[in-house]
Amino acid sequence: MKTFIAITKRNIQLFFKDKGMFFSALITPIILLVLYTTFLGNVYHDSFVSALPEGFSISEKIINGTVGGQLCSSLLAVCCVTVAFCSNLLMVQDKTSGARKDFLVTPVKKSILSLSYYFASLITTLIISYIAVAASFIYIAFTGWFFTFGDCLLLLLDVFLVTMFGTAISSIINVFLSTNGQASAVGTIVSAGYGFICGAYMPISSFGSGLQKVLSFLPGTYGTSLIRNHSLKGVFRAMGKEGIPEEIVSSIKKSIDCNLSFFEKDVSIAGMYIILISSILILIGIYVLINLVKKGRE
Amino acid sequence: MNNIIEINNLNKFYGDLHAVKDLSFCVKQGELFAFLGINGAGKSTTISIMCGTLSKNSGDVIIDGYNIENNLSEISKEIGVVFQNSVLDSSLSVRNNLYSRASLYGIYGQEATKRIETLSEILDFKNLLDRTVGKLSGGQRRRIDVARALIHNPKILVLDEPTTGLDPQTRKTLWKVIEDCRKNEKMTVFLTTHYMEEVVDADYVVILDDGKIVAEGTPLQLKNSYAGDYITVYGVELEKIEKLGFKYEKIRDAYRVEVENPKVARDLIIKYPEIFVDFEITKGKMDDVFLTVTGKKLVGGN
Repeated sequence: MKTFIAITKRNIQLFFKDKGMFFSALITPIILLVLYTTFLGNVYHDSFVSALPEGFSISEKIINGTVGGQLCSSLLAVCCVTVAFCSNLLMVQDKTSGARKDFLVTPVKKSILSLSYYFASLITTLIISYIAVAASFIYIAFTGWFFTFGDCLLLLLDVFLVTMFGTAISSIINVFLSTNGQASAVGTIVSAGYGFICGAYMPISSFGSGLQKVLSFLPGTYGTSLIRNHSLKGVFRAMGKEGIPEEIVSSIKKSIDCNLSFFEKDVSIAGMYIILISSILILIGIYVLINLVKKGRE
Repeated sequence: MNNIIEINNLNKFYGDLHAVKDLSFCVKQGELFAFLGINGAGKSTTISIMCGTLSKNSGDVIIDGYNIENNLSEISKEIGVVFQNSVLDSSLSVRNNLYSRASLYGIYGQEATKRIETLSEILDFKNLLDRTVGKLSGGQRRRIDVARALIHNPKILVLDEPTTGLDPQTRKTLWKVIEDCRKNEKMTVFLTTHYMEEVVDADYVVILDDGKIVAEGTPLQLKNSYAGDYITVYGVELEKIEKLGFKYEKIRDAYRVEVENPKVARDLIIKYPEIFVDFEITKGKMDDVFLTVTGKKLVGGN
């Protein structure tokens, strides 16, 4: 256990000492934040207002709260995964620098080495993700705050789980990479592509039915939906209090992926948690198994 | 002395390339063992197999009584490796690097602090402990690499071209530490190097070419078998040297005559006392041995 803690500590230290790795991890959330606040925010606002049935009026605070919640949930869903890929680059860097070779000539178990990469990456990604949560809370506080303490806790839990998921996925992929070029190619693809497939950039409900079915097989989709649900829970409560009919609230929820279905069957919040937690456990198991099978020997 | 390393019929293939060909040799406890060969001869492959970072295709590797096949973890505790290139974390301090590496051997807290303190005194880097490794000079960094390899007090120190690119003073310091460890701790040193002067001090030398052993023995045995002797003759005219009928070379203020062995040298001196007034006899060098057995020159040596 002491060895595990010491290697994890070393990995975390290296992440924060390596300015390149640290700033490249921060770049995705910063770009998204700027993009959302300067451009996408207005698009979301206009499309939300235009989507309301005629004759309905909602207070500007609720509209802004909805848009803010949608923006921040998208940002957090993407951030938890893309930052994990950046922070997990150490695994590849250790191969190129020879540090991995140095570890393999010691009696330390391969499973301890692989788990220490996982946990170090998880901790660093969580630190950045929770900074992003804090920034999101500040932004929402200015636009329209409807969170209860419970909503905040659930959102923190969602971010934790999606980060665990992102770290597990990045660990499995990075284990097969051996050069910095491969790592940056994968990082670029993930940064550009993940936001689309998890429904962060555009709601999955706006995709064609075939693609929706395909995306419903990806656990990340449910992670995004959980974050979105808990970011907007307070706003939906407020809508109800303002007398907006349940059907309309429900259709808004559907349009922004708060209600997801798997082959026409609605997936409950508990179901989403089960899918996400199960996939995390399976992915970590696969990651450790890959490391044990690879044995570090050629 | 017991054999601390035994390698029998070791083979390693990289696809179609037969990198290590039926290699067999032994290393005795406490000796300085030198492994010579040009790049691609199979030295690093053999070392990687011994350290467990590379699998073998066939053969036995027994280290300190443990077979690498079933007891890699035990073997890892007994081996310290100085790699060709520094593998420490360049953005961490020397102290943090050594602490993290010590933990890999189950050395923590006070025990780790004490060991790092001892090594910093032996290798003279106490003033570097809080410096970032990436900001150290090549020589300073190499001392830390050696400290890292010695952190768990191993029985075998593997040095893979440890002094390449180092200034003579740093090389001397490193060799003094390694020699002290050998004498005091009875540590076995397994060395690959490009510097022939380092091989001269070895107890046993194995020369590898194209994955197989082409010569082995003590430096003296190898010199006697594969390199002639030289008689350097001072203050004599060219005609007299030519009269000897041996291969010679003109050097600044003398001629160097190449003879097969000391007996031939002695007979020549007795036969021509008027020519050999001022002279010296020297043994051939390890460079000559290497050239004779491999037909290749070891690049990078002195």
